[in-house]
Amino acid sequence: MTKIAAAARKHAPIFLAAVFAVLPLAEPAQAQKSGGSITVGQELEIAGFDPLKVGVYDTSTFTAAAAIFDTLTTLDEKGEAAPKLAVSWTHSDDYMSWTFKLREGVKFHDGTPFNAQAFKENFDRQKDPANKCRCAFYITNVKEVLAPDEYTLVYKLTDPSVNLPAVITIQSQNNAIHSPTAWKTKGDDYNRNPVGTGPYVLKSWTAGDRMVLEKNPSYWDKGRPYLDRIILKPLPDAQSRFASLQSGEADIIWDDENDADNIMKAQKDSKLTVHTYKGSGAQVYAFNTKVAPFDDVRVRQALVMAIDRPKMSQAITNGLSRPASNPYGDGSWVKCKDDGALPFDVEKAKALIKEYGKPVEFKMLVTATPRGRMVGQVLQQFWKRVGANMEIEQVDQATIPSRAFTRQFQMTPWRIVDLADPDPQMYANFRSGSPLALAGFSNPELDRLLDHARVTADIGQRTEDYCAISRLINKEAIWFWTFQNTYYALSSAKLKGFPKMYNGVIDVSRTWLE
Amino acid sequence: MLNFVVRRLLAMLPVLLAVSLLTFLIASLLPGDLALVILGDQATPENVAALRRDMGLDQPLWWRYLSWLGHVLQGDLGRSYRTGQTVLQAVAERIPVSLQLMLMAEFIGLLIGVPVAIACAARAGDAFDRFMTGSAFAMLSMPSFLVAILLIYLFAVELHWLPATGYVPFTEEPLGNLRFFVLPALTLALAEWPGIMRVLRSDMIATLQEDYIALAKAKGLKPARILFVHALKPSSLTLVTVTGINIGRLLGGTLIVESIFALPGIGRLLVGAIYTRDLVILQGVVLLVASGFVIVNFIVDMLYAVLDPRIRHGHA
Amino acid sequence: MATLELSIRDEATPTPVRRKRKLGLLFWIASGWLAIILALAILAPVLPLQNPVDMDMLERRAAFSSEHWLGTDGLGRDELARLIFGARTSLTVGLIAPMIGLTLGGALGLLAGYFRGRFETLVVGSMDVLLAFPPLIFALAVTAYLGQSVPNLTLILGVLGIPAFMRVARAATLTLARREFVIAAEALGASHARILLRELLPNVVLPLLAFFLLGVAVTIVVEGALSFLGLGVPPPMASWGSMIGEGRDSLDVAPRLAFLPAAGLFVTVLAFNLVGDTLRALTDPRQGAL
Repeated sequence: MTKIAAAARKHAPIFLAAVFAVLPLAEPAQAQKSGGSITVGQELEIAGFDPLKVGVYDTSTFTAAAAIFDTLTTLDEKGEAAPKLAVSWTHSDDYMSWTFKLREGVKFHDGTPFNAQAFKENFDRQKDPANKCRCAFYITNVKEVLAPDEYTLVYKLTDPSVNLPAVITIQSQNNAIHSPTAWKTKGDDYNRNPVGTGPYVLKSWTAGDRMVLEKNPSYWDKGRPYLDRIILKPLPDAQSRFASLQSGEADIIWDDENDADNIMKAQKDSKLTVHTYKGSGAQVYAFNTKVAPFDDVRVRQALVMAIDRPKMSQAITNGLSRPASNPYGDGSWVKCKDDGALPFDVEKAKALIKEYGKPVEFKMLVTATPRGRMVGQVLQQFWKRVGANMEIEQVDQATIPSRAFTRQFQMTPWRIVDLADPDPQMYANFRSGSPLALAGFSNPELDRLLDHARVTADIGQRTEDYCAISRLINKEAIWFWTFQNTYYALSSAKLKGFPKMYNGVIDVSRTWLE
Repeated sequence: MLNFVVRRLLAMLPVLLAVSLLTFLIASLLPGDLALVILGDQATPENVAALRRDMGLDQPLWWRYLSWLGHVLQGDLGRSYRTGQTVLQAVAERIPVSLQLMLMAEFIGLLIGVPVAIACAARAGDAFDRFMTGSAFAMLSMPSFLVAILLIYLFAVELHWLPATGYVPFTEEPLGNLRFFVLPALTLALAEWPGIMRVLRSDMIATLQEDYIALAKAKGLKPARILFVHALKPSSLTLVTVTGINIGRLLGGTLIVESIFALPGIGRLLVGAIYTRDLVILQGVVLLVASGFVIVNFIVDMLYAVLDPRIRHGHA
Repeated sequence: MATLELSIRDEATPTPVRRKRKLGLLFWIASGWLAIILALAILAPVLPLQNPVDMDMLERRAAFSSEHWLGTDGLGRDELARLIFGARTSLTVGLIAPMIGLTLGGALGLLAGYFRGRFETLVVGSMDVLLAFPPLIFALAVTAYLGQSVPNLTLILGVLGIPAFMRVARAATLTLARREFVIAAEALGASHARILLRELLPNVVLPLLAFFLLGVAVTIVVEGALSFLGLGVPPPMASWGSMIGEGRDSLDVAPRLAFLPAAGLFVTVLAFNLVGDTLRALTDPRQGAL
């Protein structure tokens, strides 16, 4: 083993999204009880599970996927990669190849045996250019997957990945393992009749209403799961979602900090438990630096300096939102002494706008939701105070990605989600030439740092790279960050064993009722 | 009569055709290239071009309309690109909810509206009448999104009488199903009864002026009997119309009520289709709903003709 | 938009019972309220009000005080100023949109009712098409295409109101066209234009105007529903509907934020109704069935 590898191993724990749970989470030592049924109130309606059809899973789909499917690895309470369908793993010295030993004797719900071949078929199907899967974007760094024997799986990467087992833990479109027999026989209907190896089996699903998941009696992890039944329901309206929790129709609901009044009410209610998870990443915004007035760095800097984040947090979330000064956040292992954040300075901002000389007028894309409108109005107000005129352009969620990819915007909201490693998102968002490099900004130094950070195994070195990247982006103000990611779920106090919400996923597959 | 039915049926055809054209045009107006939405980050120019070709998006608009219409006429409304469901499957899953919601809302609306209307008509012009007509109108000014959440707080959170959100099919749990529908139906009914009440009230006031009512009074019939039998009956025509119009309107779904009470109805399906640019679903469902409206109107016309023979022979 | 439908037949109300009634105190109170609201809405920019979009982010949902007479809203904006500017928006949309319906729908209905035949079939048919299309989907799609602004919103609501006005005008025309004075004018060789403008229009206008007042009320409410769905007036502009929608999120913390605009809406709609009813009773157009 090389020195780099040794260093990486030594630092492995901090590699993985460091997490801080506000409330004490259920300890495994507690007595688990089997039986019972719970209802989960989600924000969105689930479209389906076939990656070829839906492309990317949303948070609501993640919850269902966590129950129906298994992944190779999972994150334990400490944030480290732990075995699931893979029991052990090793890597090549250059981190370009990872070999996983798979669990034996696991079967999909339809009886198809789970093995390396089944996994490879999942992967190849997503990767096949003929399938034009949106999901392929997230596995561009994997050249191929090999199945040398029935229970051995080899990932061949295009770039070194020192952290692969932790990166592939999310129950996403790419990592959930589907039964190849099922998608082949069901065709178009597979999307809504998913088959995995997970602890729960899809029993019935009424579109827009409920998805009933029943305990998988032959689950490989003996003794689990505990609950007999999980019911997932989309409850789109935040107020009635909370009312459903209060009145007992739902046992756990998805929430976010914009619903601060209800979160605070739940904190005071002894019958309810508030689960929070402070993830890495942030709510971010991109300037289109190719168009006026954002082709001038002074305007961009001025707008960033005009934002008073603590005050904004008060205004929109009763102070629950945690201000962000870099794209990584406190939940990430990247800790910077100096991230180069621009200070909040109204006078300086005014001066910069004045220096620019021309009137600063622009449109910002905002999602047509109460939350989008609120944030939009607050930013508008900050910018008005330094002499910049922002007009809110409300668009529906579906329009934002297509506007962003075609660069038809001046300023757009975006999100850096909670992942175990910053590389996938930072590289996609800032490397020149990437379709997601929304700012249209290219800088050789930035590219060099991004390239270097992804192939370096030494954690100290990578941290330095990422901090330098943050300083560069903050100085050029091509993107800016408002708040760090904090994820919320509110549940009945009877629900126990709820794990940390990595990536904001409400995973109830391991919970039980007291 | 047969002649009349055939004439009315034929008149429906151009309306349906125009509805299909409008549906198609409006769906095509939506900004955001469908191929871009579907491909997302995979939207390389080659992929976009290929997908546009596959979906026929590179064809001129009129050609796309005709080919869509051709498929529709063969009973093929298409499949959602996102869920893989056919339009008919999607509608079949949702329509029972919308139908039930609409029927219950109408029922409650009539339950409140008819007695109030009769009471008001009986003493038209007095303080009670003026108060009720006024407040009925003011009820219209209460937005359903406010009424809904107030009802939830009162009946679900405070009193625990009724569930806040959710749905079970009637076939699974008849009683539970009704419980889930009470609050959403009541929310809608609170906006429906003023209309029913005002229309019926004015109709009955007119009827009460008629000679035969005076005759009935002269014959010494009880006031209640006059009101309910002699005056209410002729007004049933009006009720049929109003109810018909409401039913047709609610068919298109009631997005706000469906979202707040988490009912899986047509409204949420349609708006979801707009947000995800699921044009196949959007066009197909709007066409079905609009056809439903036209058909309900047709049925109302027929009922009218049955109830009032004068109409069959052309008006005036 | 849909509720317009409900109220059409309302216009058939012959209210002979009320005909003898005097205008009464209520009428004057209602008119007074409308006059005040209208004056405030028109004069809003010149009144000594605080800026309705300026936020004091640390003074959210502040209680009534001498600085903020009606407190502040969820983002620390002066509630009184927002209510008055909200009235301005709501009344602008609420008055202009029905005018579009009144003008276009009224003209179509008048012509259809007078000329009958193919033209009438065409007009009635196209209105059926418009009615059959789910109004919310129409509003969503057109807003997405045209962009969100007060003129666009007004236009959409106006178009959605056309069928209802058309029905009222056509029904009134149908009955009037059989009256003696029209037949007499025809016999005297008056031109179509003359009969339409001189004989029919003045008589059709009355029921249309009464219906217009209903339209105003309904439009204000519908604008609120659209605001709730993010399709109403663009923020940070206030409208009563959007204020109720925003206030709904803090019902138990600061219920006044939802109930103040709701009360404003309630009283105004009530006042429009009272005035409309009284005026109708006075003029008593006595139309036939629609």
